[in-house]
Amino acid sequence: MKIALQGSYPKIPAGPGPSVRTQIQRFDRGLSGPRDLERTYREVTARVLNLAAEVGVDLTTDGQIRWNDAFDPIVRDVDNLYAEGLLRLYDNNFYFRHPVIRGRLAFQGGSLRYWTTLAAEVSRVPLKVALPGPFTFLALAEDQSYHHPERLLRDLIEVLQMERDSLTEAGVVEIQWDEPQLAQRREVDAQSVIDVYRSLLSEASLPQSLALYWGPRVHSWLEPLASLPWSAVYLDAVADPEVYAVLAAVSMPWTVGVGAIDARNVRLEDPEGLARQLEPVLHRQSAERVVVHPTSGLELLPPDRAEAKVRQLAAVRAAVDGTNPSRQSEGR
Amino acid sequence: MQPVLRTTSVGSFPKPPQLLEARGRFRRGEWSREQLAAAERQATEAVIRLQEDLGLDILVHGEMERGDMVAYFAENWQGFEESLPVRSYGNRYYRKPIVVGKPGAARSLTVDAWKAAQALTAKPVKGMLTGPYTICDWSFNAYYPDRRSLIRDLAAIVHEEAMALAEAGATYIQIDEPAISTRPEELDLAIEAMAVVTRGLNAHTISHICYGDFETIYPALLDLPVDQLDLEAANQGFQLLDLIARSPWPAGKELALGVVDVHSHGLESLASVKHGIYKALETVPADRLYIDPDCGLKTRTWDEAEAKLRLMMEAVHEVRQELAAR
Repeated sequence: MKIALQGSYPKIPAGPGPSVRTQIQRFDRGLSGPRDLERTYREVTARVLNLAAEVGVDLTTDGQIRWNDAFDPIVRDVDNLYAEGLLRLYDNNFYFRHPVIRGRLAFQGGSLRYWTTLAAEVSRVPLKVALPGPFTFLALAEDQSYHHPERLLRDLIEVLQMERDSLTEAGVVEIQWDEPQLAQRREVDAQSVIDVYRSLLSEASLPQSLALYWGPRVHSWLEPLASLPWSAVYLDAVADPEVYAVLAAVSMPWTVGVGAIDARNVRLEDPEGLARQLEPVLHRQSAERVVVHPTSGLELLPPDRAEAKVRQLAAVRAAVDGTNPSRQSEGR
Repeated sequence: MQPVLRTTSVGSFPKPPQLLEARGRFRRGEWSREQLAAAERQATEAVIRLQEDLGLDILVHGEMERGDMVAYFAENWQGFEESLPVRSYGNRYYRKPIVVGKPGAARSLTVDAWKAAQALTAKPVKGMLTGPYTICDWSFNAYYPDRRSLIRDLAAIVHEEAMALAEAGATYIQIDEPAISTRPEELDLAIEAMAVVTRGLNAHTISHICYGDFETIYPALLDLPVDQLDLEAANQGFQLLDLIARSPWPAGKELALGVVDVHSHGLESLASVKHGIYKALETVPADRLYIDPDCGLKTRTWDEAEAKLRLMMEAVHEVRQELAAR
């Protein structure tokens, strides 16, 4: 069984140490310069990657330390897309800049590739990049230009593919498409999801995964999306506990991620209890094709609690190994 | 003749540099609580004077004693622990409280600050509370088995605070519920909690709501048992008004309309603010339409906050004159 981290991570330390928050404040007041800010971004990114390495995480993002929100790199890398007013991100007390489309989308590139290359250079853990999937993007963005959903979708798929392909040489091992919108399952037709992802996933040299979180209908996508060539599908098993039952009953054609660690509550999970819940899943899917992870990025937690959750992943793995000694080190 | 387009502000004001310095000294143990309180009173007076100078009709005290609208209550009530900061957007962070026991209040938390502010002016000053639904939603629940139980207990405490404010003489009491659109399926729960808060309250009640997906909760939101809904609108180019216009504005309900974006440094144009007001007037009668900023002004500098309020007042004066000339 593997363990992984999913997306964003707190930009401030739990104790002493470099803080993006403090450095931005100093920068805004003219007390530090661009080089100081850049150094802090690198130091904080390294701190996140070092924690992942220390804990024994098998796959991680760079913590998205430079990102303002999930859309930030796309807005920077795609022409005619603008970050506007603040909107709440689903049911979180977190607010993203509303992406507004004011012209035909065109790929400019550069920001995400640069950030990712820098992170990959210092990471001792295989690195992935989590990007907003098209359904989440379209649900949360506003089109002021196309007024033609199909044309917008075609262009969006192309620019997302170009962003993905720009990372081919950046040192990452996986692109993760984040689709909290699908987890909510608000008026999304399964066939259109299959069609869009068949198109998006095509002609890629990097493995691609899907992350479904923050909604109660996560498990309902497993069957419709089974035919697509994912490297992994990561599932929020806190918002949708039925995930456990489905994964215990049906063998999936790809690696399954079990989001067993709640990324939105400080309460620490009981590793032994989770190991017992995971046992039937590990039995059905086989341990080497199961990844345990937080339900989403950990930035919605205070930094001390986020770190505790990362360490809890290792505790869950140890408990799983203890539950079934024959699995010790299997899949590691 | 009924007053038209009454003006107000949502709640928080930027803390002046002297108060920020005082809060820092207090945190470091260099200043006593009394010294900090004196700095807060001075800052509150500046907030009141600014609003009076600009001619606002219903004032706020500016929340100089509060860091965050939820954390302030959690820090002073039993049953909560403070967390390290959590980012809410951009470079803004807040200490998200952790519920570790049954919330309780030994005494009223808001009355003294309200009394001190009201003593500074003949105009009405709003009593400011955060609603139970938002306190629950913006806290980590590490104690209750479910949200309903926590919200129910919080509603009882907020009700006590509201009653204490009314007893002290507050004629306008605002119970902010910015999280109310977070989970549309829980709107009934939020309404139920607000009914507990406002039960038997002898005051004009207001609820401020912002930065959510109003589409999912409107028009059911109109059932929230308050006299006035205070909604942000400028942030999204007044699109909210298209939604509101789809159904008749209910008799007996007031709308306070946010006409300046509090999360942008830039100052809106006079024309855009007037456009928002006129658009609202297509649905809401002028005597039930209040004008204010989108949200609390604490994220702006003092100068930015003043400029936005000044612009708002200029737009209101012009629209009032134009309406009178018709």
